[in-house]
Amino acid sequence: MNYPFWDIPHLGSGWVIGLIAIFHVMISQFAVGGGLYLPMAERKAMRMADKEVAAEWHKQLVRHSKFFLILTGVFGTVSGVGIWFAIGLTHPEATSTLIHNFVFGWAIEWVFFMVELTTIAVYYSTWDRIDPRLHLKVGWAYAVASVFTLIIINGILAFMLTPGDAWLAVAGTGQEASKFWNAFFNPTYWPSLLLRTGVCTSLAGVWALITSSRIDGDKQPALKTSMVQWSVKWLVPSFVATPFLLVWYLFMVPASQRALLTLGIDTIAGGTFSSVTRIALIIVTTSATIVGVAYYLAYRNPVDFNLSHAVSVLLLALIATGAGEYAREMLRKPYVIGRWMFSNGVRVSYVSRINTEGYLAHSEWTWNAGAGNPPPSSYSRGEAIFRGECGSCHTLGGYRSLRTLLDGRDRAGINNFLVMLHEYKADSPYRRFMPPLSGTKQDVDDLTDYLNAQVNPSAPVAKKPVLTAQK
Amino acid sequence: MTSKTVSSSVYGWVDDRLGLSEMAAFARHKTVPVHSQSFWYYWGGISLFLFLVQCFTGVLLLVYYRPGAEAFESVRQITFVMHFGWLIRSAHSWSANLMLFAIFVHMFSVFFMKAYRKPREFGWLSGMALLGLATVFGFSGYLLPMDELSYFATKVGLEIPAAVPLIGPAIANMLRGGPEVSEFTVQRFFALHVVVLPAVFLPLLGFHLWLVQRHGNAVPPCEEAKPASERKSIPFMPGFLRKDLAMWLISLNILALLASVFPWSLGKQYDALSPAPMGIHPEWYFMSPFEMLKLLGNWLPGEFGEIAGLLLFSAGIVLWILIPFYDVEREAGRRSRAAHYFGLAAVILLLATTAIGYWTIR
Repeated sequence: MNYPFWDIPHLGSGWVIGLIAIFHVMISQFAVGGGLYLPMAERKAMRMADKEVAAEWHKQLVRHSKFFLILTGVFGTVSGVGIWFAIGLTHPEATSTLIHNFVFGWAIEWVFFMVELTTIAVYYSTWDRIDPRLHLKVGWAYAVASVFTLIIINGILAFMLTPGDAWLAVAGTGQEASKFWNAFFNPTYWPSLLLRTGVCTSLAGVWALITSSRIDGDKQPALKTSMVQWSVKWLVPSFVATPFLLVWYLFMVPASQRALLTLGIDTIAGGTFSSVTRIALIIVTTSATIVGVAYYLAYRNPVDFNLSHAVSVLLLALIATGAGEYAREMLRKPYVIGRWMFSNGVRVSYVSRINTEGYLAHSEWTWNAGAGNPPPSSYSRGEAIFRGECGSCHTLGGYRSLRTLLDGRDRAGINNFLVMLHEYKADSPYRRFMPPLSGTKQDVDDLTDYLNAQVNPSAPVAKKPVLTAQK
Repeated sequence: MTSKTVSSSVYGWVDDRLGLSEMAAFARHKTVPVHSQSFWYYWGGISLFLFLVQCFTGVLLLVYYRPGAEAFESVRQITFVMHFGWLIRSAHSWSANLMLFAIFVHMFSVFFMKAYRKPREFGWLSGMALLGLATVFGFSGYLLPMDELSYFATKVGLEIPAAVPLIGPAIANMLRGGPEVSEFTVQRFFALHVVVLPAVFLPLLGFHLWLVQRHGNAVPPCEEAKPASERKSIPFMPGFLRKDLAMWLISLNILALLASVFPWSLGKQYDALSPAPMGIHPEWYFMSPFEMLKLLGNWLPGEFGEIAGLLLFSAGIVLWILIPFYDVEREAGRRSRAAHYFGLAAVILLLATTAIGYWTIR
């Protein structure tokens, strides 16, 4: 059965997930890295010989932990729920697979999540109220819980890119849960975990620069200098390790998907760089910029380091995070779950069935044929197919606009293109990033009619009957 | 002889002849004010950096670009055939747009900080001339690919000078190299873009930078009002330079992001006989004057409207350029409110007419 579609004009439903996810990742990975930063900074302050500076560090860490609690505990959790909401609507089929396969994984993650929320609340509220050594232990308890949330979610995210052969062998048989650990510790699990850990520590430094920038450099130069410089050092491990980890990560991705890197999706730069490669390079260049900017603005000028400087570093981190998440999503193409489910929610094993029975035969929620309704036109059938098969990645007039991409083609040209996507021949360059167009010849013709009417508005259009949300 | 001795003797040899020590001493003593509006000081440097990117990418494009009848084909080869040609072309186009944006920000920050007042009048005037030249750089460079969009946009753009009474048609014909935009126009625009404009721009830029060194950074009126003991400053070398470099790095990163993720496209080859495509419009930095003239033309139709519009628009620009000569209030902490409101009105007018322009072409 095809699930109901979620139509987001202009922006596309994928970007709704993307915008929430980028915002969420910036905060949730801070929740992990910052969880290490706080007890390490507290321990450093406790071991300082100069008790005056140690007392200043202590006060600053109280302020920082308040900021940390509010940002991660409120905005992090709300955006996390937002992601569930958005993926459930945009990719119900893929979300269903993740829930069914990882139900215990999710449960464990939520346990650690509850521990996280509890310990950080205790940590903040018990500053100067309990023995400092016990307080530090609470901080470490938070750190361990938050690292475990990363350890678990990483397995599920990496699974979507590389589910692994063992899981794929039983996928669709009802025995998927028997290969839970194979699916969890999949080929990209370890490089992905190390990459994300690096990002977490970097974000801990970047966010700490925000709170450190608020220290008055004229009144507390020693505190500001030591705090800013120590925070900058948190950026270094990730910067050094990221290029090597990225290579390892890419090496573990199946060659068929890795080939996307050498293919020009965009006609510009065809064969030299595809957009996913360019965006992946943005991660590297922006990370380098962050380190350079942090070095010049913060490490070498800690006393003058102000909020604008800190925000500029944060915005660069946002670009790097956004590029990273986008590249990871693109690398999964043409699948949403590697080699199991195409990015439009069609299972790989269902394609031949849909090609025989037709795409709309299983669209109970989107289709109103029969039951006393007027017979649908080719145009309206095409519209339903467009929403179901193309709408996950394309819009008509906005992001990845089909009006723009098909501009200049007449009906025959559009039809030839769709037939090519339908045939999905082994040498077709579109195989690398687009799913096949599943359906019968009639489906291809219906979609052609609909797209032709959009691309060439003067083309004759059959009267459009109403599509309802009921069968 | 140790390497240290060699390098110090080489330095000594060069220093004797070029006076490097004096320059280093000057840089060490030069200071830059630090206050709540210091952020705006970076925009001149960002503009300069983007201009340097223009020069570098422009020279690389020059290696393969062929003006005249082959213009489109050569740009097609640069974009689709040459390795990384698309990237260099995208970086050139994006940095041109970013540079104009940075110059606009720089100009308005100078205006609102009152940095045009005595003794910085020449700095303001040379800056305005550089902005004017930068827009001509943009206009002349826009035609060079000779695709459909650049052809028709240039055709429309040249109708503005052609509208000037008496001398207008002659000027337009001279720029076009004939009655129509053709390969002769490309040849002329190319000469303008890579020879004439740089020959004028570079000395003027040198003069502008020299004035900045001579007079230093101006402080805004609110900072002027403070007693000297409360004002803060940092040495240009290395404090401000480090921050400037950080800004350049950020600019480079933004440029890399735009050029690689949104590569500059190339349209169809122009066809003088085909109708102009829908939605032809000037580049964003010309949109405001274009829209203002269009709106004035609607209120005052006919030739009279055109002339009145041009005169009114020219008067506004002249008033803007001559601001240092009528806003001469020097009393610390006071600012000429009229000039301030004039600046605010200009910003609002620019933004509003640009927005209307883009809205109406949809």
